[in-house]
Amino acid sequence: MAFFSTFDWIGDPVVVLRQFMAGLANGMLLFLVAAGLSLIFGISRVVNFAHGSIFMLGAYVAFTIVNLAGQSLLAFFLALVVSTSFTFLFGVVFEILFLRRIYRSPQALQLLVTFGLVLILGDAVRLIWGPEENSIVVPPNLDGVVHPFGVSFPVYRFALIAAGIAICIGLWSLLYRSRWGTLVRAATVDREMLQALGVDVRRLLTTVFGLGAGLAGLAGGLAAPIMSIGPGMHSQVLVDAFVIVVIGGMGSLPGALIGALVVGQANAFGTLAFPSFAIVIPFLVMTVLLIFRPRGLLGKPE
Amino acid sequence: MRAQITIGLVCAAVALVAPFTASEFWVFVFIEMLAFALYAVSFNLLLGYGGMLAFGHAVFFGVGAYAVAILMKKAGLDALCAILLAPLISAVAGAIIGYFCNRLSGIYLGMLTFAFQMLAYTVVLKSYSFTGGDDGLSGLKITGFAASPRGFYLVTLVVVAVALLLLWRLVHSPFGLALRAQRGNPNRSVALGINVSLHRWMTFVIAALFAGLAGGLFALANQSVFPGWLNWNATATPIVMAILGGMNSFFGPIIGSIIYVLMQTWLTGLTEYWALFLGTTIILIVMLLPNGVMSLWQGRKP
Repeated sequence: MAFFSTFDWIGDPVVVLRQFMAGLANGMLLFLVAAGLSLIFGISRVVNFAHGSIFMLGAYVAFTIVNLAGQSLLAFFLALVVSTSFTFLFGVVFEILFLRRIYRSPQALQLLVTFGLVLILGDAVRLIWGPEENSIVVPPNLDGVVHPFGVSFPVYRFALIAAGIAICIGLWSLLYRSRWGTLVRAATVDREMLQALGVDVRRLLTTVFGLGAGLAGLAGGLAAPIMSIGPGMHSQVLVDAFVIVVIGGMGSLPGALIGALVVGQANAFGTLAFPSFAIVIPFLVMTVLLIFRPRGLLGKPE
Repeated sequence: MRAQITIGLVCAAVALVAPFTASEFWVFVFIEMLAFALYAVSFNLLLGYGGMLAFGHAVFFGVGAYAVAILMKKAGLDALCAILLAPLISAVAGAIIGYFCNRLSGIYLGMLTFAFQMLAYTVVLKSYSFTGGDDGLSGLKITGFAASPRGFYLVTLVVVAVALLLLWRLVHSPFGLALRAQRGNPNRSVALGINVSLHRWMTFVIAALFAGLAGGLFALANQSVFPGWLNWNATATPIVMAILGGMNSFFGPIIGSIIYVLMQTWLTGLTEYWALFLGTTIILIVMLLPNGVMSLWQGRKP
């Protein structure tokens, strides 16, 4: 077993650039998942263990829609819309039925409820879609390869990065330029005060959970053409999203972006440098960071 | 208090009589219950008594299990030496992890312990020559009195009973009172002269010691170890057991572990989709019985 691979690639700009772009695309996907996780934690102090499972649900829904609607760009967009709205609704219903009733309970109980959802969704997708690994192809018009600077990149990778940037801007304007976003940020600071001012905080919590779930579902749909869609796909995403949110600071959206870019690159270059221990590298970053700066890069002290 | 003693006596009576009337399959289930009961109580030292949501307690269980396996398979020790050394190795792991974690609080403590567990998981998975990687290590042979299932059951019963007695004395000692005091109000405890971080650190070491013992016993009962015991799914097992039974009492986690093992045994025999039912049960218990099954008897918090 090679602990270190050779480091020849460092001098090879083509490999470095290709790996950097792969890391960027991966980071953008992870940002969508982590942003929802972070938003939900910021406002409700709930660590949603099922966030990876909702991502998985999004991917499965996209798989079904693409299979029904056929291989076209339009069908893929439809799949994205359906998986986003389905997971949004799923999140809203779950929040109203379960989470809403236990916001005042100890954190361990909230964690356990979301963990129960992980178990249920894991088996539910096996029941509905079967235990095998599924896949969908990259939609036509996005399945090509481009050659900037003589380096070949899949077009879909650029599409992912572009979608990530667009959603990032959309999210930013939603949170910082709309009344709803102002209320969400206020609730993150002081929920009781906001309630006392006459805002329906319960509904706010529900919509934030729905938004977080919808973002995870959207990420699942976007990842469907490049990931193997199976019952085990939630765990790596969840673990990565946890690491991102802790690196960036729980509850901080810019923090989640920085964390996602760091983890995306750590995954991409870790695979090159330490093939068998690549999965540990994000954890090492997180562990070192937590020891010296427990609240993460941009988080507030608890 | 009276309810706790009654339950304790009933459990003791069942524990003494049951293995001699049941089949070997059920003897193994009883051994699993005993090991998990110790595991759950050791975890509750951190969660229930210390107020620390340690999210990676499985690391100590796993270190204990792998210590037994590696000492027996690679160092050629016999089972007795291995099971005596394993808790000490686990306690060292507890000292290291506790050193970094004892000053953190809330979700950040949980995240850092979780990170350590994932680190351990990856190291175990990738150090193939030493830990057997994916396959684990098997063929741990016990000789002498404990070689038969019922003999091993009796040994486990005595070991777990002594360990639980020690833990019972510990939580009712001045140390246990100080631990509960810092859970309620850390600042006031410091003002009263309690070295809060030292108490939290010591709790990590002690909880790791007993979790390691439980893991070692479980490894011997299975005659093998698997990396899945350290996986992120495994992290929820002690939490589920503690909360199922009730984290506000000493005996709660024991009841929880009995219910958990029974439910898992029954469901895995009944259906392939046992996780679906387990998840549903977890959510129902949290929603309907947030203080655990023990609250049915107690009706109040100790």
